[in-house]
Amino acid sequence: MDEFALGVLTNIALFSFLALSAYLLLIAGEMSFGQQAFFGVGAYAAGIGTAMWGWPMPLAAAFAMALGAGTAWLVGLPTIRLRGLYFAMATLAAAEMFRILFELLHYQREIDGDLVGPDGTQGFRGIRWVLERGFEPHEYLALVTAILALVLAGFALVARSRLGARIRMVGEDPELAAVFGVDVARLKLGVVAAAGALAALGGALYAHHNTYIEPRNFDIMLGVHSLAYGLIGGLGTAAGPLLGVLIDIGLLESTRVFQGWRMVVFGGLVAVLLIVRPRGLLDEAVVNRIKRALSTR
Amino acid sequence: MAADFAQNTLDGVMLGSAYALLALGFTLIFGVLRRANLAYGPAILLGAYAATWANLTFRPGQFVLALVTIAGATVAGAYVERLCFAPHARRTRSRDAAAIASMVASFALWMQLEELATLWLPKHLYSFPPLYDGPPLALGPLTLRVEYLAMLVCAAAACFGLHRLLSRTRFGLAVRAVVDQPDAARLAGINVPRVMLLVFALASALGGLAGYLIVAAHEQVTPMLGMWSTLKGMIAMMLGGLGSLPGAVIGGVALGLLEAHSQWLAGPQYRDLVAYLVLFALLAFRPVGLWAMLARKPAAAD
Amino acid sequence: MKRAFALMLLVAAPTAALGQRLDAEVDCKPTKHDLVYDCRVVLKEVKSGRLVSGALLSIGADMPSMPMAHNIKPVRAEPGAAPGEYTARIELEMFGDWALKLNVRGPVRDVIVKKFSAREPDR
Repeated sequence: MDEFALGVLTNIALFSFLALSAYLLLIAGEMSFGQQAFFGVGAYAAGIGTAMWGWPMPLAAAFAMALGAGTAWLVGLPTIRLRGLYFAMATLAAAEMFRILFELLHYQREIDGDLVGPDGTQGFRGIRWVLERGFEPHEYLALVTAILALVLAGFALVARSRLGARIRMVGEDPELAAVFGVDVARLKLGVVAAAGALAALGGALYAHHNTYIEPRNFDIMLGVHSLAYGLIGGLGTAAGPLLGVLIDIGLLESTRVFQGWRMVVFGGLVAVLLIVRPRGLLDEAVVNRIKRALSTR
Repeated sequence: MAADFAQNTLDGVMLGSAYALLALGFTLIFGVLRRANLAYGPAILLGAYAATWANLTFRPGQFVLALVTIAGATVAGAYVERLCFAPHARRTRSRDAAAIASMVASFALWMQLEELATLWLPKHLYSFPPLYDGPPLALGPLTLRVEYLAMLVCAAAACFGLHRLLSRTRFGLAVRAVVDQPDAARLAGINVPRVMLLVFALASALGGLAGYLIVAAHEQVTPMLGMWSTLKGMIAMMLGGLGSLPGAVIGGVALGLLEAHSQWLAGPQYRDLVAYLVLFALLAFRPVGLWAMLARKPAAAD
Repeated sequence: MKRAFALMLLVAAPTAALGQRLDAEVDCKPTKHDLVYDCRVVLKEVKSGRLVSGALLSIGADMPSMPMAHNIKPVRAEPGAAPGEYTARIELEMFGDWALKLNVRGPVRDVIVKKFSAREPDR
């Protein structure tokens, strides 16, 4: 595979973390415009960990996930009661605050004759841990894909468990869930923190792939795209958001078939698709049909 | 110091009237449909681009440019309604899910309209003829730009006019019937889809007017106008309280004041930080919005 | 899959850093075609300032405001006349701020990211 194809596949895998993070909240009945903030928190935290504090990447990634979960939990605490557009706007406001804080963050250190660290709007260059360990692009792609496979396995396990059933119940009818004895606010806060950790993990991997990040990476466009991927691909299974990323980044963006008209085509396609299938291609009905077809074999 | 404070307050109110105009259109849509139209700003962008194109091609007068902007935004807004909102209006089984589908569809059309605009006029920045070429008005030691005064007048007039329209006319009665009891309205012979489309067109026309006044005041158009309009309109609406017309004006002016003072005190980055912080705090702790807090009553539309 | 797990274990063990950090001067000039730029790159070591010739250099680009979404096919740069100099012709997708990603291979391995602002010509 050439450098270009590897780059596209790596981008698809990295974007999937963020799309899965938004999807996790969607099935719990909340629409977040702010998951890009925790992707950013993860990217900055892991970058600072390896490039400035000399930590090995697994430790830095764990730190990033903890910080992502913690900040998401803090944002969720006062907003978890909100629904619909209120929650969406509150998460958007929080995410924009994070982006501006990244712009205000100046923390640099000299390493090997080079100034390394976040430099406000000038960005954070020199996140070289992966590069310096001699990873080839296909090896890093394998690593990211393996971690993504683990995450998907986790989603599959939860989907079959009582916890998964509870999350979907809260998403569909929180009042009913409360009647059945589910602590709705606590469960949602847990989901918010998990989604934050997942986004932060993606951010950590992104920062080390790119070696360079800047505050503008983490603006609202990124968040709303990741939200849209879940709805395009379908909310019935965790494969849905992946399908969404694959269609947009893999098919439309990278093949260049529509050249400058990509967004014109994609935008119209999504709007029409949502009329026919308001919960995406792989919605609950399709997933159930597939499951039944598989189980009768 | 006192003069600075007064000037900043005045600037804030003026800037806020632009936000208020944007928020009025947004609020009209949200109040009636209970759904957010993310493509609101990009429809305005398309109107502004149509006017920019007309300006480059024919050099017409200001009045024509204003009409072209409003017409462009209205057509684009009606297109968004047909594709993103009308098809999801009847899904009553799960209102939340339909609202999310509408919103994401409107985001998809945001991307589409923005790209259409940049394919039409690819430059990063176009100049736009000024609404008024003279010096700003002097009020003692303070200065006031005429364009912004026009926005303030328009915002007040639009708020008053919309209120009259909704409370005194047959159309307004139909709109209120659709808001309160869509099914009963349908049984009473009201053409609900037509009312929705008209509300959308009216809101987009208001957005177009706001967009025209804003680009004529800035004397330039960039593709950022779309996102900027959606965000500022939405924030002002949320600050004021969802779905209330006076709330939209109060929210807009509050946002303008907040931005003007924090920019003067701490610079542009802190300006946005403060605006988002206040929005976040208000949503978290007083989600009814400023208008309901001032008027000591629950938000009108909820 | 197995290989990836082996890699995950491998990354936990720190290995020696590879050679010197590189820096680059990048100068991209517009051509008569919109969005097509002729770029001149000078590679050198950060610490010693020594020019680096004979490397394999490819240049990719993405937009910081749309991370992971703009995939410009990386182009191979040709060695230039002067020591440490390389030239490449890049084609971008739209006007705006880009991050050029310089991928260096050969005797040294490094990735350098440089910002580049593509502005439309005034006509």
